[in-house]
Amino acid sequence: MTSAVRFTVSLFLATFFLLLRASAAGQDPKPKPENTISVHLGEPVPAQKFANPPKFWISDVIDRSGNPQPMLVLKERGGIFLDRQPTVIVREALEESLRAANLLAMDANSADLVLKIYLFQFGLAQGSQLDFFGKVEFTAMVKNLKSGESLEVKAAGTSIAKVAVRKKNIQKNVQDDVEESLRDAVRNFLRGQQLKDAVGALRKSTDAAPAPTPNP
Amino acid sequence: MRIGIRMMMVMLLLACLGVAAKEKNATPQFKTAEAKHFTQAEGVELSPAFGDYFYAELREELKKAKLASEVIGEGEAVEDADAPQSIVVNGTITEYKKGSVVKSALIGFGAGLRSLKMDADVLRRSDNQHLDVVHVHVKIDPRWDEKTMAKFAAHQLVKEMKAALNTQAK
Repeated sequence: MTSAVRFTVSLFLATFFLLLRASAAGQDPKPKPENTISVHLGEPVPAQKFANPPKFWISDVIDRSGNPQPMLVLKERGGIFLDRQPTVIVREALEESLRAANLLAMDANSADLVLKIYLFQFGLAQGSQLDFFGKVEFTAMVKNLKSGESLEVKAAGTSIAKVAVRKKNIQKNVQDDVEESLRDAVRNFLRGQQLKDAVGALRKSTDAAPAPTPNP
Repeated sequence: MRIGIRMMMVMLLLACLGVAAKEKNATPQFKTAEAKHFTQAEGVELSPAFGDYFYAELREELKKAKLASEVIGEGEAVEDADAPQSIVVNGTITEYKKGSVVKSALIGFGAGLRSLKMDADVLRRSDNQHLDVVHVHVKIDPRWDEKTMAKFAAHQLVKEMKAALNTQAK
């Protein structure tokens, strides 16, 4: 009799916990102050030196990741969210670094080259189970407003961080990982050979174009 | 007798500490190191994500190995003055065998393991001179993820590369 009661109680408890877990798994994590991270570049990334430094202006940053929840970085363990949209974070990081190198124009009209950024990946990518794989990838369309010509420059940044057991440590590692990959991507863009070539080609086309003749 | 053993243990400990301190203080051999995405030979069926992950792991291992003062991203410009002291690591994944869980479980003794072979070239940036060629062969359990294999491959590649470059420097 006692064993039958024990078996029934165990079965009931097991079913209860399974149902509870299934219902919890079905729920999407919600952003709360305790599971939200703030990603910043920290110190600006030093840009490469140009022979004739141009002034850049960032006209637009467009999310092309196709991610329905761009602010959700990690779904497991109650979720980890970004405090701002990835497009805002990338724009801020690029503007900070360009400003520090004195390469940022005051407005679009005073700029030599206008950048339109297409963001393809921001956050964590599929890595091994042993670490977090941070990845930031974007393409910039560098346009010379005077000649109308534009060239594409690709940039990518990666970072690997250790996994952790405690939620607090997971959050810290993920934040460090995303910040490091953002820094790496900005650096890859600003110090890349592609940008150097694009700036050289676009400025050459402006110099080669005949100056507009004044109307009589 | 006991004193002799103790003395030997203390000396061994001091020697180990000395080696560790020497390695910690050693200045990197190169100014910059650039890792490139490895190409895949015909017939190698690995996901595109594998290439990205391996590239990230390779950069991480290069940083850990302290071969260069700075590990730069793919396609980044280097000052002309630093180019002779800079290296570029590129390579090809020549063979990938998926392995078999059944063979691994039933036969064992290395049968059915997942295997990856790659060749890497270490070039001097200024004149593209070959400094080293590394062949890596990694085998792991077929139940493990291919990304775990990338981690092991990157670790082994940098370890062998460092050993070869250090021997050349001496």
